[in-house]
Amino acid sequence: MTGVTDADVFAAFPAVLIDRDNIEHYRGLLQQRLLINRCSSCGYWVYPHRPLCPECWSWDIVPTEVRGEGFVFLCTLIHQERDPDAMLPEPVPAAAVELVEQSGLRYLAPIVNCPREAIRLDMPVRLTWVDRGGLASPAFEPAGPIQSGR
Amino acid sequence: MARNPLKDSLAVVGVGSTPYGRDLKRTELSLALEAAIGAIEDAGIDRQEIDGVCGTGMDPLAMGGSGFLTLQGALGIEKTTWQKNGWLGSCFVYAAEAVFSGLCDTVLVVQAYTRGPGMSRSAANDPFRLRAAQQRMAGQVLTGQSDFARRWIHSGEPYAAWMARYMHDYKATKDAFARIAVNNRTHATRNPRAAMRTPITMEDYHASRVIWEPMQMLDMDVPVDCAEALIITTAERAMDLRHKPVYIHAMSLGGSRVGEYYDNSLGWTDNSLWISLAGLWERSDVTIDDLDLFFPYDGYTIDTVGCIEAAGFCKPGEAGDLLASSWDAEANILRLGGHTLLTTNGGGLSQGRAGGFNFYTEAVRQLRGAEGERQVPDARTALVCPGSSFFHDPASVMLRTD
Repeated sequence: MTGVTDADVFAAFPAVLIDRDNIEHYRGLLQQRLLINRCSSCGYWVYPHRPLCPECWSWDIVPTEVRGEGFVFLCTLIHQERDPDAMLPEPVPAAAVELVEQSGLRYLAPIVNCPREAIRLDMPVRLTWVDRGGLASPAFEPAGPIQSGR
Repeated sequence: MARNPLKDSLAVVGVGSTPYGRDLKRTELSLALEAAIGAIEDAGIDRQEIDGVCGTGMDPLAMGGSGFLTLQGALGIEKTTWQKNGWLGSCFVYAAEAVFSGLCDTVLVVQAYTRGPGMSRSAANDPFRLRAAQQRMAGQVLTGQSDFARRWIHSGEPYAAWMARYMHDYKATKDAFARIAVNNRTHATRNPRAAMRTPITMEDYHASRVIWEPMQMLDMDVPVDCAEALIITTAERAMDLRHKPVYIHAMSLGGSRVGEYYDNSLGWTDNSLWISLAGLWERSDVTIDDLDLFFPYDGYTIDTVGCIEAAGFCKPGEAGDLLASSWDAEANILRLGGHTLLTTNGGGLSQGRAGGFNFYTEAVRQLRGAEGERQVPDARTALVCPGSSFFHDPASVMLRTD
């Protein structure tokens, strides 16, 4: 799974501001690995991806794979894009998933494999990968039994 | 003689610099952070003493590169009461006046420059420099990217998500939001400048179209074409002018360490607007009990709930009860604590979307006391919270007359 070059990453994400502080994250996505920058000195997870630890000011930042487990902290169902003529066929749940690695460490992704009405705040979820424009993209699905009823 | 009240009142106490090179293979942010740390360490101060940040560039969203929002988060500075981006030499002046004015005590100014792809052939062949320039030219330095995980950079959607979180944590119902929408519309029916003047009911609110669940159409401000302007001068000069002066009594901005990824927000009571309102009260002799008019931001009704609670009209999570007990069913408006009127022009929800700037002009008109049948009797104090984003540079301003 090695051999994804910088050029491959730039080509796969033409409308993303790839820079030297986040390129390993995007290289990871192409290998279906969710990598988040982490401080080697104090262990703090540094997200958004930046070159400096905001806790201890260490520059020793290493992109590190997360377990892909967490819970839904924030979620909204996107019914409409800015252009009403570009209505989504189905509302898309956009969730800030708080990862188990660190309090407040959240990754924004769709919730899949779950009826929309069964999505709950604080619901445990796990990482999965879905096709988005021909690329495998991170999403989260329920990690336990789905509750019914509102 | 020119007025120069800053005389001898300010000093530079720390400096920091990076190496210079044609190709350091680092991001602009990385360079900015190194210089910032250098200056802080040179000054020998704790980073948490810094309460004002001037970042690099002219982007008012202050995102990406080394804008103030990114810098504060990346440096782990917990609270600032003044933020700005600037460039060239003027940013030093902005920062100096901020300290002089008391908006902050210790300001960090950071300016980073990088070699753009238009500056040399080798730079044009560097894919990192090229991508940065392409995004900037497309007006999409950070917003508008195709990565789902970056969808909430300067987005309204997280406000809808926070509305859900608020209802979940505090067992709130949507009636609180409905009352705000109806209050603003009722005031707008009497405002000849307002775009939306047809009265609405709580039922109309609940029946409005869902946009970002649980947020509905009537939770959102109304996009319009408009302009607002005002003139500020010294109190001394104002005494000689034709209108009754409206004094700027106290001001504060607010910044937290969230940065530009809004999914990374802090707890309900830790986001920027709470810092802004706390900063305001720390500078104001006018208390909440003296308040005649209150203009809480209403880009979304969840902003208004946040402003009401952050201002201290009730405890966190109790806005629903407060708004229910403050409801004047005869007039279809809110009277907070039985007295304070909210958003007497209709605000963004019903007069129209002006980033909250129409709060300033409405407050000034009411405090002058000459608004005819729209006039709030004896209005002497107004707390204006325009553009009170949870995340970036919310302003809180106390205006008063004698």
